[in-house]
Formats: sequence, structure tokens, C-alpha cells
Amino acid sequence: MTILLAYIDPGVGALLWQSIIAAFVGLLFYLKKTRRWIVGVFRKMFGRGQKPPGVVVEIPAEETMKAKSNVR
Amino acid sequence: MPQSAPSFRDPAGCCCSFNGRVLRFVATDAISEFEQFLQTNCARQFIARKQFVSTRRLNEDETATLRESPELQPVFHAQPGGAVFEHERIPFPSYPHEWPPEMLWDAGRLTLELAQAALADGFGLKDATPHNILFRGSEPVFIDALSFERRNPGDPIWLPEAQFVRTFLLPLLASRRWGLPLTELFTTRRDGIEPEAVYRFCGPLEKFTPRMLSLVSIPTWLSRKTSPDDQKIYQPHLLANTEKARFILESLFKRLERTLDSLKPVAQKKSVWSDYMATHSYDDPAFAAKEKFVNEALREFKPARVLDAGANTGHFSALAAQAGAEVVAVDLDAACAGAIWQRAREQKLDILPLVVNLAHPSPALGWRNGECPSFLDRATGAFDGVLMLALIHHLLVTERIPLEEILRLAYEVTNSLLVIEFVEPKDDMFRRLTRGRAALHASLNAAVFEQACTPYFEIVRSLALPGTQRRMYCLKRKGDGN
Repeated sequence: MTILLAYIDPGVGALLWQSIIAAFVGLLFYLKKTRRWIVGVFRKMFGRGQKPPGVVVEIPAEETMKAKSNVR
Repeated sequence: MPQSAPSFRDPAGCCCSFNGRVLRFVATDAISEFEQFLQTNCARQFIARKQFVSTRRLNEDETATLRESPELQPVFHAQPGGAVFEHERIPFPSYPHEWPPEMLWDAGRLTLELAQAALADGFGLKDATPHNILFRGSEPVFIDALSFERRNPGDPIWLPEAQFVRTFLLPLLASRRWGLPLTELFTTRRDGIEPEAVYRFCGPLEKFTPRMLSLVSIPTWLSRKTSPDDQKIYQPHLLANTEKARFILESLFKRLERTLDSLKPVAQKKSVWSDYMATHSYDDPAFAAKEKFVNEALREFKPARVLDAGANTGHFSALAAQAGAEVVAVDLDAACAGAIWQRAREQKLDILPLVVNLAHPSPALGWRNGECPSFLDRATGAFDGVLMLALIHHLLVTERIPLEEILRLAYEVTNSLLVIEFVEPKDDMFRRLTRGRAALHASLNAAVFEQACTPYFEIVRSLALPGTQRRMYCLKRKGDGN
């Protein structure tokens, strides 16, 4: 990592205010992560969103070709 | 074009103009990072969109040739072992003290877009000033290519945030809220306006409105509570969780974007001159004759670069741009320049609108007056055509500039064509401007005007505008004025 040669005036009050907001947004980051985790758990419980591991849905080649020709 | 003094604030390198080329000298330890940045998706995308200055590294032979130039010796001496890059040249450099609020807003938008895009490539924007940007026509171009550095992924703080607030958000706020002209603000303050200065303008209740609290009041209160000797606040606070640091920075950029959007200049209120096109004293045949005269001159001379002095709403700038010229449209009224910018963007016209009073043009600014050349330094000999329409009486009467001086200025600025509208002292607007001083101009008439043109220009043709006291002149610059 190169040394950062910051040469602009970062302000005083503005820098402190940015740090305070950063701390709050940091909390929000964990809240969002927690919410995402809870939603994931519920999805798993009710079987929505994710498919059980090991099940692969195969589409026959001729059906894929048919779908492509329909697009044209 | 004058050769600019090398820039000096950034320890990673400097930039200067030399023989019409724009050269960037990059310090040895910054070369690799600079080249890495130029290869990022961010740099490539913005270069392709013409919003980032295109850049190439000079090879050893080209660099060796430059080393022989005595003028560049000090720069090579300051950056021993560094590399030299060349940037594309932006046709007519302009500075924040010449922009209407619309252009400052657009420059701010580009700054934020670049800062966010660079984040995805692991780079950070290390300064956020409007001086990083020039305008190509009405489009902003980020020119300070060395403003990006590889960022520490654990750093959740964007150090230039305060500079962005000082140089974009607070000037836009002051312009919108109190009508503070950006021209005055940036002429005296290179680095914008501090929250503490804006705080003093605010009324007691206004200090507590959400926007003022965040941009002005809280930063001011916090700085008052902090000891000026406390260096701890400037120490980086790195987070172990880099995902969290990135989330915080992205949220900061979104917040700044929302604030910038809320300060977008609205279509300006009527100013003294912004309604001129709707209220001028020409009737339709006179205006049509004037338009035809200007069009014919543009078709005949085909100027590649045109200065429209006293452009007003930019009607004739648009004619010049439609005829294929790169146009710089200057007017002392920021509302007019803003309207021209809006129109140029909507109609994709190559017009650079600037807030410049020709009788009091932008001075040279910065350290030793070498960082931003004066408007006239940049304009001298830079145009093939100059339009001075419905302007001469304002300079003669309001500014008390002698006729010969006006023509000499036009002679210095154009290399070929001058289209000028002569206004007789009997004209209604001329009389309105004299305010009882009509005697000062009693001897002025078309013959006197033509005589004054003789040392500088040949009269190609002239036309009296029907039903007015005005006459159009198409003039060709003589080889050598006296």
C-alpha cells in the first residue's frame, strides 16, 4: 500500500461530522446484514428462493433450440 | 495561448502547458499507480464518454526532446526520474469564477460520479475541487488525471468531503439562498467557502433547518469545540471489515449526491438582461435582417472558433455553433450564461457560456497570478470570429470605454472576422443608457464609427437595420493595426 500524500485541507468540523455519520452508518451496515440473514433463514425454512443442494434442473437441448427460434 | 506555470500542490506530480501541448510530469513513486488507474474500467469508461481527459505516456525519445527545452528544466529538476504524459488539449480553458451555477453543479455531479466509479476499482479521489474540471463546450471534462490514488480498503473516510462541500455545495447553496454571485466568490476564494462563513449569513432559525444543520451548523459547532492543536482527529481510523468501510463510503457518496441534487440551480429568475430577446426593440423585419446578416458573414468566413461578446440568451451563439464553429459566449449576467448552458446541453451545441464582463474581464488568479490566466490572455488571438451585437452602446455609455479602445480589443481577439452592430445615439436604448449625458456622444455617427474602424478593419459590407437606428457591419481584420 502506498503512503497517502493527502495535501488538501480536510476541514475540522466537517471531518468530525463525517466520522460521526460514518459510525451511525456502520451500525446500519450490521442491521442490514442481520436483516438479510433473518430473511435468508426464513426463506430456507419455507423453501423459497433457494433450491435444495444436489438438484440440477436440466433443459433438453431441443427445447432450448425451440425457445431460441421463438425469440426470432 | 500563454504557457501556464506548472501546477505545484500535488506532490505526485505537476502539469503545465508548453508550446500548445498539455504535459503532466509524474513523480517516480507515483508512475505505477497512475498507469494502473488509467487502465481501470472507471478511467476507460469516462475517457470513452469524453468526460475524462485522454492521456498517453511519452516515449523516451519524446521525453529526451523535451529535456532539451530550457523552459522545462525546472520541472524536470523537480521531478527527477519521473515520467512525462501528454493530455489532450481542451479548446478554451475556463475556471469556476467564470461559470454560472448550472456549470458548477454539473462539474460537481461529474466529480461525484467519478469518485463512486473509482471506488469500485479500488481507487479514491484525493481532491474534489472544481479546478479539476474544464468544459469542452457545455460538457465537463475531468482533467486532473493524477487526482486518483489507490485507497486503503479499510478506510471509511473520504478526506476531500470537506473540500467538496466548500467548493461545490456551499457556493451553490449561497448562490441559491442569498444570490451570492459565484464570480465574486471564486475570484477571492480559490478553495470555496467555509461552513463558518456561511453560518454567519444564516438567521437564528435557519441554522436549524435540516440542510443547514448538516452542511453548516453542526460542522461549525464541532470545529468550535475542537482544540486547534488536536492532531488525533486527522489520524486514519481503519476498519478491519473492508465491506463495512466500502458500505460507509458508498452511503456518503449517495448522501452528497442527494444534497447536490437538492441544490440544482432552478431556471433562474428574470434578471435585467435575461428577457432581452423577448423585449428588445427590434420589430420582426429588423431582427430577421440582422439574423440574415450574421448568417451570411458566418457562411462567408467560416470561422472555426467564435467569441460572442455580450451573448445575452445566446441566439447568435447558437447560429455560429450551427454553422460549425466552437463558440465561447460571454455575458456579464449569470442568468443569461446559465440559460445558454441549458440550451447548449439540450440542443447539443458546441457553446461554452461564461460569466465575463468585457469591461471588467476575469483577472489572472492564483499564486503569482500564474494559476488561472486572465480572460484576455486566453482570448487574445484565440478566435477567428467575434460577434459584438447590441453591445457597443453599453461599453461606450455605461462603461465609458472609448470607441477606438473597443475596436482595438476586437482586433486583438479576432484573427479574421468581426461582426459588430453600431448603435446610433438616437437609438432608444442608447438614450436610455445616457441618463442625461447625451451631449457626451453628440458627435458619434456611422461615419465616425467607420473612420475609427479604419486602422484595424476593412469594411466588407454594412446594412442599416430597417426601422431602427442601428447598422450591422461585417469587418475583416487588417494585417497590422496601429
